[in-house]
Amino acid sequence: MEGRTVEQAREEELLARARSGDRAAFAALVREHGDMVYTLARRLVGDPHLAADISQEALIRAWKALPGFRGDSQFSTWLHRITVNTAWTQKKKAKRHAGSSLDEVGELAAPFDSEHPEIAGEIAELRTDLRRALNALPEGQRQIVVLKDIYGWSHAEISESLGITVTAAKVRLHRARSRLARMLEDV
Amino acid sequence: MAIACEVAAPFVANSALDGTDVIWPLNHHTASCLKCQARHAAMAKTGRQLRAMAAEKNEAPRDLEWRVMSSLEGDLAVSRSWAKPVTLTAAALSMIAAIVIWRLRPRANA
Repeated sequence: MEGRTVEQAREEELLARARSGDRAAFAALVREHGDMVYTLARRLVGDPHLAADISQEALIRAWKALPGFRGDSQFSTWLHRITVNTAWTQKKKAKRHAGSSLDEVGELAAPFDSEHPEIAGEIAELRTDLRRALNALPEGQRQIVVLKDIYGWSHAEISESLGITVTAAKVRLHRARSRLARMLEDV
Repeated sequence: MAIACEVAAPFVANSALDGTDVIWPLNHHTASCLKCQARHAAMAKTGRQLRAMAAEKNEAPRDLEWRVMSSLEGDLAVSRSWAKPVTLTAAALSMIAAIVIWRLRPRANA
């Protein structure tokens, strides 16, 4: 068990079983990672219904691709990539625009613990403004900011997943951050 | 001075989020400009908030697991390493059984 947590060992066992066709094991992985997949999809497309469809499709794709998953990266990272690719293709197919209503932004608010309620309040307000600004970014720019600044992806990973060049990814990120800064200043 | 601030603004935002220095030659301006420094500090704070969001999760729809698993139930396209040999073996056994039954059938002139 050196360097491995109990959770990692359990996940590896579930993955091994799922790879050999055990659907119950895969269902357990879906329960484990469903929220994470949905959160990413929601951040990428904004619309909760479309995010649910993307999550479903991404997890089905993951099941189909599971025999090819060799564990070179973490399972969650691999799922992230599949989710981004799915969001990208689904959006191209659907050609629908993501919603960015204030209600949706409100739903995204997460609980925040702090011993100092006044600081917690300020941070919660900041987060709300930030989410609102993120949702208001054009989709291509939002995707880049989400992947780079929230999830810490490299430019190479982003360019590969979004099917654009590294230079295009850098330029789009530069513009997105600039626009985000302007929007936050205007709040 | 205000023009320089607006020119520097995108680079200030980028350097704050990347945690790097503002590029030359704009760094000469930002080093002495309180407005740009305030912008840099605000975006650095935004960067911390963005990174903290990675740990936040939205609850997936309750029926997500059901939707995924029920889709897989009807999915015949999933290839299984054992599916082909099992199918071939079953087909071969069926053919052998059919031949045996045919050979052992009661004959009228026997």
